Amino acid sequence: MRLYDIVALVTPDLTDEDAQKVAAEYRKILSDGGAEIVKDEPWGRRRLAFPILRKREAYYHYFQVSAEPAIVAETERRMKLSDQVLRHLAVRADLELKRAAKSAERQREKAARRPPRPPAPMLPATPAEAPQPIEKGGSS
Amino acid sequence: MSPAPRGGSRSAAAVREGKTGGRKKFFVRRRKVCKFCAEKLEYVDWKDVKLLQSFIPERGKILPRRISGTCALHQRKLQTAIKRARSIALIPYATD
Repeated sequence: MRLYDIVALVTPDLTDEDAQKVAAEYRKILSDGGAEIVKDEPWGRRRLAFPILRKREAYYHYFQVSAEPAIVAETERRMKLSDQVLRHLAVRADLELKRAAKSAERQREKAARRPPRPPAPMLPATPAEAPQPIEKGGSS
Repeated sequence: MSPAPRGGSRSAAAVREGKTGGRKKFFVRRRKVCKFCAEKLEYVDWKDVKLLQSFIPERGKILPRRISGTCALHQRKLQTAIKRARSIALIPYATD
């Protein structure tokens, strides 16, 4: 099982509900294929940075799934065939995350190996605090 | 082979500016730090449009390392992140 990020751009010609239905279709394909859906976020109707098939907006839908490669390939194939999906992107997310975790750990190790810093010199903060109790004592 | 000359001349310039004010224009160059290293962001998220936008100037091109100060490792990650974001129209390929 590998972690994937999948984003689909659904045609703006549909209504909000219909766009949700299209997303649900792909959710079904994924889960029927044995994928575990980690995140399922509709990003809503967004303006495109550039027109795609003369459309200036699209419904974005984001999935993060833990799945076998074959299922993701199948989902991508269907998205490609669909007229309702303007564009899609499916990329692996686990490689980056794993690498990030590893390098974070390496840094922690490095920090642990470094000799501890000498304690910071105490700032002369105490004299400023000292007079206050006396004032309080005088007022009460 | 040592990186000393750059840092040395820079600090000298800063000192001169501070003392004399000078006829020539000296400006203290801020040392550029890789944003991702500074904030300990290991992973450049291609979904984070706001972050990526800060590395995209007016024209829509990827801001070069020599200007942004991003380290080589993170520039590479940023590059792939921007390209991914472009492919799903989160970010423009080019603007005019």
